[in-house]
Amino acid sequence: MRNCQCINPLKPYPATIIKIIDETPDVKSFQMVFDNPAVMENFRQKPGQVAQLSVFGVGEATISITSSPTRRGILEFSVKKVGMLTSALHRLEVGSKVGIRGPYGNHFPYEVMKGKDLLFIGGGIGLAPLRSLIDFVLAEENRGDYGKVEIIYGARSMDDLCFKYDILDRWPQMPGTTVYTTIDRAELGWEGHVGFVPAYLEEINPSPENKYAITCGPPIMIKFVLQALEKMGFADDQVITTLEMKMKCGIGKCGRCNIGSKYVCLDGPVFYLSQLKRLPPEF
Amino acid sequence: MKAYIMTGDNLGAWLDTLARDFTLIAPVKEEENVILFKPVKGFAEINLNYTNSTVSPKGWIFPQTEEMFYFSTAGGQINLTDVQAPRPAIIFGLRPCDIKGILTLDPVFNGAYPDPYYQNRRENTILVGLCCTRVERHCFCTSMGGGPTDGRGADLLVTEIDGGYGLEALTSRGEELIHRYQGYFTPDQHSRVILAREELGQKLAGQFTRTVDTTGVKEFLDQNFELPYWDEIARRCLGCGICTYICPTCHCFDIFDFAPDGERGVRSRCWDSCMFSHFTRMAGGHNPRPTQKERVRNRFLHKLKYHRDRYDLDGCVGCGRCVTKCPVNIDIRQIIADLQEVAQHA
Repeated sequence: MRNCQCINPLKPYPATIIKIIDETPDVKSFQMVFDNPAVMENFRQKPGQVAQLSVFGVGEATISITSSPTRRGILEFSVKKVGMLTSALHRLEVGSKVGIRGPYGNHFPYEVMKGKDLLFIGGGIGLAPLRSLIDFVLAEENRGDYGKVEIIYGARSMDDLCFKYDILDRWPQMPGTTVYTTIDRAELGWEGHVGFVPAYLEEINPSPENKYAITCGPPIMIKFVLQALEKMGFADDQVITTLEMKMKCGIGKCGRCNIGSKYVCLDGPVFYLSQLKRLPPEF
Repeated sequence: MKAYIMTGDNLGAWLDTLARDFTLIAPVKEEENVILFKPVKGFAEINLNYTNSTVSPKGWIFPQTEEMFYFSTAGGQINLTDVQAPRPAIIFGLRPCDIKGILTLDPVFNGAYPDPYYQNRRENTILVGLCCTRVERHCFCTSMGGGPTDGRGADLLVTEIDGGYGLEALTSRGEELIHRYQGYFTPDQHSRVILAREELGQKLAGQFTRTVDTTGVKEFLDQNFELPYWDEIARRCLGCGICTYICPTCHCFDIFDFAPDGERGVRSRCWDSCMFSHFTRMAGGHNPRPTQKERVRNRFLHKLKYHRDRYDLDGCVGCGRCVTKCPVNIDIRQIIADLQEVAQHA
């Protein structure tokens, strides 16, 4: 299914950075607005979709859209400084010009999830793609469609927790929402839980009944989270994850994000565990 | 389907005229043993004594490096300018395997997101196929469902016949081309062209030194991803990527910016190769295909399984370029035969 309404899917639209939030020492969130209001209006992403961000002269990278579609008028991307393009993005300021094309990929099955409880399990920057769905579900116009929301989130240290304003302040105050936060090692000033996310998940031991679990984080965390969920009795079609792959085109042509005959950019990034188990173990 | 006949002398005059009216791409002898499809100014530059070109002619539809748009960031503003659309072109002399190669690429660059660059070139390029007159040791098109006189996909198919050339218009575009230059041709009233092509096809069919049977190979690969066999192949593979650059069906590309003064530049794409480690390595360091084993497996699975899964087309047309150019003699025909053997003992 085609998502972007553009004439040339490989040509980005100019956009401007209107706000930058320092999340952690190496993660920044960028709020962006298309320079052409009509492009902004027509950009209709769904929770879990991605876009290609351009820093002209440096290149492009695939970044998940962390803002919920219910938040109209801006797009937000949370970016960890790890490579050439993300380092260039981190050097930009409010008012800097970038390019955006998309949205690409499939999305979280938010229609199927209606009437269910939702368990989000995130690690580090992996909370960014989950956040688009969390805020979609918690938005006033959608909240009644979903049951309880539990969020388990962890990072290496206090400093490395992304979206502190959401996990510590905003989300815990939302109706029917519980947030569990953990850091890997004890730290002065931290009174919360200490330990890895998969272990914390087992400790909390959420019931799989009438629930979907949605997870994203470092590959090693995902691996142990999936094992833990299985142990707790979650079925493979109750578990959803979103994958990261190196991408260039985002539209299924440049050939590098395939897992078997599926392209993560077209057929993903969101997969049920039952789907992942049918794919070759190349991710 | 209408057929026409052209004298040997008229071929040169016609190609000279085509070179004037279009961008004419045709086989040129670059140096000893190197034939390349290149733009030519006339018949004199064309070399028709070749079995196939060194690099596949796909590059005229999907260029090795292609500028996509220009950008300027001067004054804090972004300005994007489209590249000029290419002139209508004719590729003359495509062998049947390479025509099939383009048909193999078509669905990749179409689909939910049609690729405007590919589509534009494809729509503005007339394909004139040329039946093979000999079979080389590396050729195996008949094993992949093609044939040396099977011109399906061409607009116009040319066959060498006694005293000249036979032309068959396979599409309305081919018919229009004949019509536009009708002075060069006479209608074939006695089916000479079709008979000559069929006779040639039968003669060449017996000349293949090696054929392979792909029956059941895809189905075996559907069930068997992990095979120690890929270690064997990976140990020999140098990861040089030559197979992917000369292949008529490989479509992987990279996208890059070039801005020498930092403000004005161009975004281009260029062929890339799944044989290279950086192809799938992510910025954070994780690589889903970390060793040559995974990369070799991906290439052969792409050709023998993935392309069929996605598009219901074989990913290999049997041109044999990778067979001749691989520095360590990795031969896809042998791989198909080996997989048959592995499947039998599985």
